[in-house]
Amino acid sequence: MSGHRIGAITRRLLQQFRRDRRTLALLFVAPIVILALLGYMIRGSSSTPSVGIANEDQGPLGATLASALERSSLISASTIQASEGDSRLKDGSLVAYIVFPADFSQRAQSGTIAPEVHLEGSQPGTSVPVLQALQQAFASSGPAAAVHFQPQIQYLYGGQGLDRLDYFGAAFIGLIVFFLVFVITIVAFLNERSQGTLERLMASPLRRGEIVIGYMIGFTVLALVQSAEVLLFALAVLKVYNQGNVILIFGLEALMALAAVNLGIFLSMFARTEFQAVQFIPLVVVPQFLLSGILFPVSTEPKPLQVISDVLPLTYAVNGLRDVMIKGADLTWSSLQLDAGVVAAYCVLLIVAGVATLRRRIA
Amino acid sequence: MAESFAVDVQGVQKKFGSLQALDGVTLRVRSGEIYGLLGPNGAGKTTLIRSIVGLVAPDAGTVSVLGLRMPNVENLRNVGYMTQQAALYPGLSVEENVQFFAAVNGAESGVTDALKLVELDQRRKSVVTTLSGGMRQRCSLACAIVHRPKLLLLDEPTVGLDPQLRVRFWDSFREMADGGTTIVVSSHVMDEAERCQRLGLVQYGKLLAEGSPDEIRSLAGTNNLEEAFLRLAGTGAES
Repeated sequence: MSGHRIGAITRRLLQQFRRDRRTLALLFVAPIVILALLGYMIRGSSSTPSVGIANEDQGPLGATLASALERSSLISASTIQASEGDSRLKDGSLVAYIVFPADFSQRAQSGTIAPEVHLEGSQPGTSVPVLQALQQAFASSGPAAAVHFQPQIQYLYGGQGLDRLDYFGAAFIGLIVFFLVFVITIVAFLNERSQGTLERLMASPLRRGEIVIGYMIGFTVLALVQSAEVLLFALAVLKVYNQGNVILIFGLEALMALAAVNLGIFLSMFARTEFQAVQFIPLVVVPQFLLSGILFPVSTEPKPLQVISDVLPLTYAVNGLRDVMIKGADLTWSSLQLDAGVVAAYCVLLIVAGVATLRRRIA
Repeated sequence: MAESFAVDVQGVQKKFGSLQALDGVTLRVRSGEIYGLLGPNGAGKTTLIRSIVGLVAPDAGTVSVLGLRMPNVENLRNVGYMTQQAALYPGLSVEENVQFFAAVNGAESGVTDALKLVELDQRRKSVVTTLSGGMRQRCSLACAIVHRPKLLLLDEPTVGLDPQLRVRFWDSFREMADGGTTIVVSSHVMDEAERCQRLGLVQYGKLLAEGSPDEIRSLAGTNNLEEAFLRLAGTGAES
């Protein structure tokens, strides 16, 4: 072992980094950006689940509990009609609603307290604060201890059987395809540049659009096979909950793959080496991963972050996949039309951007 | 008239930052001749070839190829371009590489002829990563000529080749020129310059002198081309 020789290797490594400002920036700026984002998302989020209260009780107990719920810090309660509850769950303006039926006080006197709790059900974890708030309201203003507290829980989608994998699986099916296809495309396109073949192509009658579309079709074929494999594994082996049409899920995955291919081609224009290309991964993928609603529902993010989430293609893709798989959405749903439409529009935008930034002239 | 020249470069200027890569180059290459661009490394030969093929946008001046102003994407069908580095797809076989460039130029029929010309038809199934450096250069040449271009631009095509292979390359160039192909070839090797019909001496982005090897020698007043080049380059540097 020679300290001198080891020192030579270490010095050479650091010298290389000194000239690669982009890598240095990534090394020191990216972790702060990512951690700050995560911190802001979790600590900065102030919103509590929106819960509707429909009080049909002819006795006094319903009103007492309703006002206790309205004071609860765990939820933000509002008064609704029981008949509008399901549609409010569907449009996403409520995550749950609680009905105190007409005979609520009467049944409480005979020993059972049974409010109806209707949960949206597609997001695990959101039921916890709702039931907690109800229990606290019951404890603070409820009648004698002899009474049984038996909330009647109903799920609009999914149900108690839905576990974390069912919820994340739907999103991850799309994320895996998006991520891998993006990485493969950006590196492959950069290879074309670094091995000199792109210069050759540019000195041929090939049009720029032909190169981009040719690439897109080639990688899309690969991506579709990958999507089919991922989907098959998720549904057949992992038994991820699915209420929707498999073809529709595959279609959404294909759209994501298309967007990823074109994003890869577009961003490869801004990298000179594979090393630099790899740096786009944390910059492109991590913020989308955090902000697209995969981990935390977009509605619980701080407002400024929601604005960013609303322009990310992955947000729409993830939402679409969850709608199809958990809620059984089909193309007649306007939310799914929006999701698919936005992802498709991104594909077109990225194709145009890729063609526009691909220069025939190297100087 | 521009039509009688395969390449017509008029007063081309190109600057990269503070470096004047091309400084008012004017040259004309006649149809069917082998024109040698001669000059040391960094003289501007590659930039000149790139500006002929339309990859470099001149800051001033014009370039016409086969009678058409460049850049002209359609006209590139008639141009073959071999880059300095053997630009190939390493994961593809020799034949697949040549087929690809044939398809890109709309000339699938020339693959076998091109492979025969570069003597790689026995290795057509070999993957590029398994080839020696010389074979890669030959494969790269096959990719440049597969569509039978009217103008062939070769950027230092024989760099790194052994003497036998270099002779074989030049025999191929001669054969193609006899078939009517115009060839512009850059080099910094003087014995290759002897094989060109006309030469352009490039240094510091300028065309110092132009003519047949004999004309260049008499212009410099010496019998030795290398000596002639050094004398003329000396004059250029002083001016």
